Amino acid sequence: MNILVGLKRVPDTAEAAVIPDSTGKDIIKDRLTFSLNEADNYALEEALLLKEKYGGTVTLLSFGPKAFEEVLRMGMAKGADTAIRLWDEKFTNADYFTVGKVLATACQTLPYDLILTGCMATDDGYAAVGLTMAAILGLPHATYVSKIEIQNSKAKIRRELEGGLLEVKEINLPAVLAVQTGINTPRYSSILGIKRAAAKPITVLDCAGLNLADPDFLAKTILEKLYIPIVESKAEFLEGAPDEVSTQLAKIFKEKGVL
Amino acid sequence: MSCIMVLAESRQGNLRDITFEMLAKANELANQMNLKVNVLCLGKNNESMAKNLSAYAYEVFSIDDELLANFNSEIYRKTISKVAQEHKPSLFFIGHTAFGIDLAPSLAHELNLPLITDCIEIIREDSKIVATRQMYSGKLNARVLFKEQSGMMTIRSGTFKPAELKLSGNIVTKPIPEEFKTGHASNFLGYEEVPTTGIDITKADIIVAIGRGIKEQKNMPAVEDFAKTIGGELACTRPVIDAGWMPKDRQVGSSGKTVKPKLYIALGISGAFQHISGMKSAQTIVAVNKDQNAPIFSVAHYGIVGDLLKIVPMLKDKIKEMKAGA
Amino acid sequence: MNNLESISSEIREAIIESGGKEAFECYECGMCMSLCPWFQVGNVQFPCYRTPQNVRLGAVMASEEKEELAKEIAELFRCVACDNCKAFCPRHVDMGDIMRAVRRILAEYDSLPKELKDVASKFYNVGNPQGDAPEKRNDWATGLDLPIYKSGMEYGYWACCLPAYDARLKNIAISTAKILNTAKVSFGLVDTNVWCCSETLRNFGAEKVFKELAQRNVTAIKEAGINKILVTSPHCYTTFKNEYPELGAEFKPTHTVQLFAELIKEKRIVPQKPIKKKVFYHDPCTLGRQNGIYDEPRTVLQSIPGLKLVENPIFSREYSVCCGGGAGGLWQDWPKEERIASVRVKQVKDTGAEILATACPYCILMFDDSIKTMNLDIEVKDVSELLVDAL
Repeated sequence: MNILVGLKRVPDTAEAAVIPDSTGKDIIKDRLTFSLNEADNYALEEALLLKEKYGGTVTLLSFGPKAFEEVLRMGMAKGADTAIRLWDEKFTNADYFTVGKVLATACQTLPYDLILTGCMATDDGYAAVGLTMAAILGLPHATYVSKIEIQNSKAKIRRELEGGLLEVKEINLPAVLAVQTGINTPRYSSILGIKRAAAKPITVLDCAGLNLADPDFLAKTILEKLYIPIVESKAEFLEGAPDEVSTQLAKIFKEKGVL
Repeated sequence: MSCIMVLAESRQGNLRDITFEMLAKANELANQMNLKVNVLCLGKNNESMAKNLSAYAYEVFSIDDELLANFNSEIYRKTISKVAQEHKPSLFFIGHTAFGIDLAPSLAHELNLPLITDCIEIIREDSKIVATRQMYSGKLNARVLFKEQSGMMTIRSGTFKPAELKLSGNIVTKPIPEEFKTGHASNFLGYEEVPTTGIDITKADIIVAIGRGIKEQKNMPAVEDFAKTIGGELACTRPVIDAGWMPKDRQVGSSGKTVKPKLYIALGISGAFQHISGMKSAQTIVAVNKDQNAPIFSVAHYGIVGDLLKIVPMLKDKIKEMKAGA
Repeated sequence: MNNLESISSEIREAIIESGGKEAFECYECGMCMSLCPWFQVGNVQFPCYRTPQNVRLGAVMASEEKEELAKEIAELFRCVACDNCKAFCPRHVDMGDIMRAVRRILAEYDSLPKELKDVASKFYNVGNPQGDAPEKRNDWATGLDLPIYKSGMEYGYWACCLPAYDARLKNIAISTAKILNTAKVSFGLVDTNVWCCSETLRNFGAEKVFKELAQRNVTAIKEAGINKILVTSPHCYTTFKNEYPELGAEFKPTHTVQLFAELIKEKRIVPQKPIKKKVFYHDPCTLGRQNGIYDEPRTVLQSIPGLKLVENPIFSREYSVCCGGGAGGLWQDWPKEERIASVRVKQVKDTGAEILATACPYCILMFDDSIKTMNLDIEVKDVSELLVDAL
């Protein structure tokens, strides 16, 4: 079973202050560390587990500049076979469509039975790249996938719906599955894996290498401006006897519509 | 013939709240833009859903077929794109839900529409449509525009207030085209409940969290009772796990889960930074603690200095009253 | 950690290159194992004595099997860098260096426990482990009217991130400032343009982040013209003294207990109010074993009227048992049966002490937590907090 996995490098912002830069279209990154996108890490693990079970290869794809090789190497340290980085200076101002189109174009040059991605990136939270790629490739797909079982040329999957419900589906392969966090337990890299990955080459493909012409990958949306939303600050203390503060609080819950 | 198209979302024959939230916003914009709102209703035995929807739209396209009884992005996509191609919507709204986001990217591609996902605001500004969406887990807002005049948007649940409308839209029943009835690459097999032992507190809208202030196991039923009344999930800090009063998957904090509920009620939690890092992004944080200087108050929006064991039963009664009165 | 079937010279070379060459000095006597604080914790037998052997064989993290790897990572990141093994090694093997070498390789590929990765991100982002705003670093001093360091002053006071930002611990910095003012010590606060000393980062393997933050501190302290830096945390002390010089630092650290002992000797402060309590002084690893500062804190405590210092010779001074908070231990979450701090607190309680005194904010957090969990009747205080009460 040959599996392609899309990986994204994202800044670790869960604990960090996120501030727009002077262009207003990106954030200040010089004080941020970067990681493999959380959901992608689960997609990678799922691919490695399937490879251990069924044999075949795992090929990693990442859309991004040189620094993105870091996540490709992490993936190879864990056991992926090869890695391709897709980048061209012309890809600046990329949106979900650009990334989906470029990834799909690269996939078309590779043999595959399954394509895995994370269901969402923690930076833009767009949740559309994997399925856009599926649409361009004309493949069946599912997102928020929380379980994958391979049955001959089909995958039986479960995906998470709201309110604690799972949808069970059967999908013909090849397909694109965008996996949800928690589907498995991602592994650590071994030192040997790390050393091997550091020595492995990473293929880099640009527009010419992908045979992509200009208008084909142009973004369909414009990110005009990023700004910090106004949030309430500091606790407002409610005072009085338990009975009084409870009444006040219940009233606040009602006004804010949280109940 | 341009319009704002809204895809009604239903599950097991019931319209979901997101449908009315989208319809409210669609009608508001349609008035400004002098457009009609049309709604698509796909399912099986759609009559009552379609009738309900007709109060909110100019036309209701009801596509009623056994095959549409359960959501299947492939059949839905083909069917919807056929209708949409006839009506060429300026804006197309779909819920940013497990259902909507499984469908929107491929549908947008098929209709050659640009897509903006997870929108929390949509306004018309100098004849342009501007969407607001969040990035970096809500730490930033982004203004996003379509490059072209029209496009598709997925809308975050609970963002727009549903509005009571009394239009009397036309219900147009359409069949599912024959050619879409066979040859599917994916099939719905069924629904499953997530086992209750594996409650995922990261998905809860309301969390009632307890810390050391709970003191003894015999005080647990009071907070359990309160959580139930308020419709929240119970969570806790590490000491409560240590005491063995709650399972590990309920722990909030740097070594537990990171949660972002709409409401987080911290009871008897002093707010060690390991805990705060797991909950500080909650939309509304209420803290009850005996110690006025407890660090939890530095992230809380509302604070009560007092004994949780006295306040919790009282608050439970007030909420009960309020719910009964509502 | 002992997967001897899959050994690799590549692993050996990688670890040696990353700083673990002393592994070759080990002759496997097992002394380190019996001294490792983990050895005292229930069923945990952190097998550090095998580490040098496994480094030589190239057997550390050699398994490619997922579960085995996860187990090894958990074990490797147990090391709290207390240096007990190093202190008593008959061959003077620096086990800390070996552990750090292994962790460095792993940390560079995010192959470390998530809690530690998150902490490293916070350090890098705002320069403190709490994730608080850098400009609030001196907020603990609000209302105390303390100046920022200016040339001509004797000491720059470096409060450490934990007292600077933690609600419980800031009392240490406040107490220290009061003592310094009473003694008319010439000092100013180090400005807020500095970052965590990052000692903990280096010990758990986040070498790149350590180097970058430490380098920024070296520059900022130099620009401020500070030559003598007074520190509250022995973690800052040990890295300033023993590691920062390699980055070009020229300033000299003094730990508060050293200065307090001197001030008492010179009678610039005279403790007069009695504290009639039995007090056990816990030697922090980074102050005692790593820097030989044992007498000064005891001098300070013994100068307080009424205070009775109790000792446990088996577990005091160089035999002190780590609190478990070093090398990222503060952010790791072991089940309550597996906490070194609980072992230590029990040892202290058994001496009949009413107060556990120490001179390290890490120790205080760890002990406070264990005391609450174990529901023990003993207080934890910093030496400065006791001293200020006696003035």
